[in-house]
Amino acid sequence: MNILILLAACAGLLALRFVPKMNILGWLVGWWAATFVFLRWGINPPLPTSIQGMFLAILTLSLLAYISANSAHFRFALDRAVAFATEKKYTVALLVTLILLPCLVALRVYFDVTEGPAPPLSSRTIHPPPPVSIEVAGRTIDLVNDDNPYRALETEDPAAFAEHVANGRRVYYENCVYCHGDDMAGDGLFAHGYDPIPANFQDATTIAMLQEGYIFWRIAKGGPGLPSESTPWLSAMPAWENFLTEEEMWDVTLFLYDFTGHRPRAREDHGGGGDGH
Amino acid sequence: MEGETVIRNVTDIAIRVAACRTRRAVRHFSRSGFLSCVLAACLGVAGLPLAAWAQPAPDLGSEEQREAGRSLYMDKCAQCHGDAGQGDGVAAPFMRPMPRDFTAGVYKVRTTPSGQLPTDDDLARVIRDGMPYTGMPPWPQLSDDEIRNLVYYLKTFNADFSGPYGVPDLAEIPDPPSFSEASAERGRAVYEENQCFDCHGMAGRGDGSSAPTLQEQWGNHIRPADLTKRWTFIGGATRQDIYRTFTTGLDGSPMPSYSITPIEDSWALVDYVYSLSQDDPDYATAATARYAADPVDPAQGRAAFGEGRGAYFPVVGQVIESGRSFMPGVDGVEVKARYNADEIAIMLAWHDMSAETTGENAPDMAVPPTEQVVRDTVASVWSDAVAVQFPQEMAPEGLPYFLFGDAGQPVDLWFADLASGAGRSYVGRGSGNLIAGETDPSVHATYEDGEWTAVFAMPRDERFAEGAFVPIAFSVWDGFNDERGNRRGITGWYYLYIEPSERPSPVMPMLRAGGLTLLALLSIVGLMRFRRRTSVSA
Repeated sequence: MNILILLAACAGLLALRFVPKMNILGWLVGWWAATFVFLRWGINPPLPTSIQGMFLAILTLSLLAYISANSAHFRFALDRAVAFATEKKYTVALLVTLILLPCLVALRVYFDVTEGPAPPLSSRTIHPPPPVSIEVAGRTIDLVNDDNPYRALETEDPAAFAEHVANGRRVYYENCVYCHGDDMAGDGLFAHGYDPIPANFQDATTIAMLQEGYIFWRIAKGGPGLPSESTPWLSAMPAWENFLTEEEMWDVTLFLYDFTGHRPRAREDHGGGGDGH
Repeated sequence: MEGETVIRNVTDIAIRVAACRTRRAVRHFSRSGFLSCVLAACLGVAGLPLAAWAQPAPDLGSEEQREAGRSLYMDKCAQCHGDAGQGDGVAAPFMRPMPRDFTAGVYKVRTTPSGQLPTDDDLARVIRDGMPYTGMPPWPQLSDDEIRNLVYYLKTFNADFSGPYGVPDLAEIPDPPSFSEASAERGRAVYEENQCFDCHGMAGRGDGSSAPTLQEQWGNHIRPADLTKRWTFIGGATRQDIYRTFTTGLDGSPMPSYSITPIEDSWALVDYVYSLSQDDPDYATAATARYAADPVDPAQGRAAFGEGRGAYFPVVGQVIESGRSFMPGVDGVEVKARYNADEIAIMLAWHDMSAETTGENAPDMAVPPTEQVVRDTVASVWSDAVAVQFPQEMAPEGLPYFLFGDAGQPVDLWFADLASGAGRSYVGRGSGNLIAGETDPSVHATYEDGEWTAVFAMPRDERFAEGAFVPIAFSVWDGFNDERGNRRGITGWYYLYIEPSERPSPVMPMLRAGGLTLLALLSIVGLMRFRRRTSVSA
């Protein structure tokens, strides 16, 4: 969000208030222009042009609805349009419009035809629902009810807990850092070569809103363990059960939370588990 | 070029470092000794503050600042640089170049003469901006205060920072004059006179004759910079950065400091290096295969594919399956393609420090899982190789796994071992399940000035229909880096667009759209005028 642009758009609308003899058509144009400016330059990172177009189309329709909802407004707008199309003093402007509009449309078509088609886009589901349980090294792990077996040490035996975190740190920097980055922001050395990009654990929408069992599932089964709506064939996440022990995977989960300062999402069912304190 | 003196430092790192240390001592003696003697004699009484002025005390920060730096260091840096700053953290064995050993007090990126310590700002800059395409990431998320505290802590690792050399001299780094093509042209001669090509190669691709044997101070192999990829320069990519890098050298590495006079020649060299590459890699998401009616002649190499740079894709290490490659030898591949009614030809070009054309390679060679470390010796038994991969069929449920396919959806792999130069095809159902394919591609590969160019030609099947976006992925093996089988550089899925042979003319659609708009406008205006006239006459 670019606050300066937002303020400028609001100030522009406010300024319209002080224009003498402002009519309803002027207001419509003002609103349309202010929204366009905000959508085009006011949002960071920028919206895709197709989304901008959708918003502007909705706005145009609602402005038309607004004008036709009030018969005085509608009458006035219609009169102005008829005057523009028929009165002599507008002849030049009318001719210019009649020539310019078709030319603009033709130009748009020219760009569409010569630009060439874009590669197909594939959509994917992030954070798909996890399975109820998984098999790791011959052991069944209940993702719904089992918690990180070492999480309880945090309060019961802080020294042992610190050792598990330290082991997780070693595992992370030997294995994960190349993609997920030194600061866990998903910007490691190889991040630019993979699509989807590696998860950013600092971000509030990844590990902070997931339970540890979910993280364990993603680590153990990796990209190949994703359901098909999450494009398992594109993900570069290895299935770490092939490289790491179960303890190492739980330890690195502890380290992800420890390093970023996030807490695992609390369990809804018995409301305590790992919630923040 | 008469009347110009060009001084070239010895490249032997040990000799150079020793020489620099002596020079530093000599200069320091003359400064502190001579200056303070003369000035103290002149001013007599003000001895104590004057001595402090003649030799400013190094800024080592407060106890609290160093302590804050220490805790930040243990949190963010020790994983690679080690708890005691010796460059031996848990991630260190997987990295080339190795993480810096702070206890040595030797730093690459400095605004100070070779052999001297860096300034605080130099250290802060590397922390903030990182060293691209190495294990050192940028840390823009740290505040200026945090970075300063880190710098104070780094300085505690080496006693020189608090000793008489703690305040280094500043190298003179002038503002750059504006870039000119003529200067860049002249810079080529400066590049040759100074034998930069020994390491960096004739075309600047980091493939000089001594490149395979270069070692940094700690005995590990280190690759010279590929000067045609400015975005990978560890000391920064601006012209001033390039000037600073070669005038102050990269201490601890074989890159010496150069003093090239007159200064116009220094800037000519800068301009030449600058002219070798564009600003950024400009990574693509699709390559385009263009139609050309004449038969493809792979022996023509790049010339068969027309002018201009092809689509450039990033290559990263295969770190997903066993045989992980943490520091692949190749970081990008350029792709061009063409087709006619019967054939499709794809050109792959990539920079490689040295061509390994002996030994053998194959995509299904086993790599022992214990072999995890980047090697430093030059005894290659594996040849360079390259492969292109396509889905065998276009399935609606999605693509095959990008690592040589999966059991459900196989891929076609076109592979070339660059020792024999022969093409082979495989059908992949996962990296553990590759079987020979039916038709082998014809391959023509050449290595010149640090660049491999490999052209694959195959009969064109229905996958490569005009207008299609065909998923495509690449693998590159650098034999020098012990890459074979699963140890390799890879890309994810990208696209190869088969550009239709007849491009539709935009004129008809333009006329149609413009005409329809005009017609609509005219009928609205006409209707309004008609109604108006009838209402007025009525």
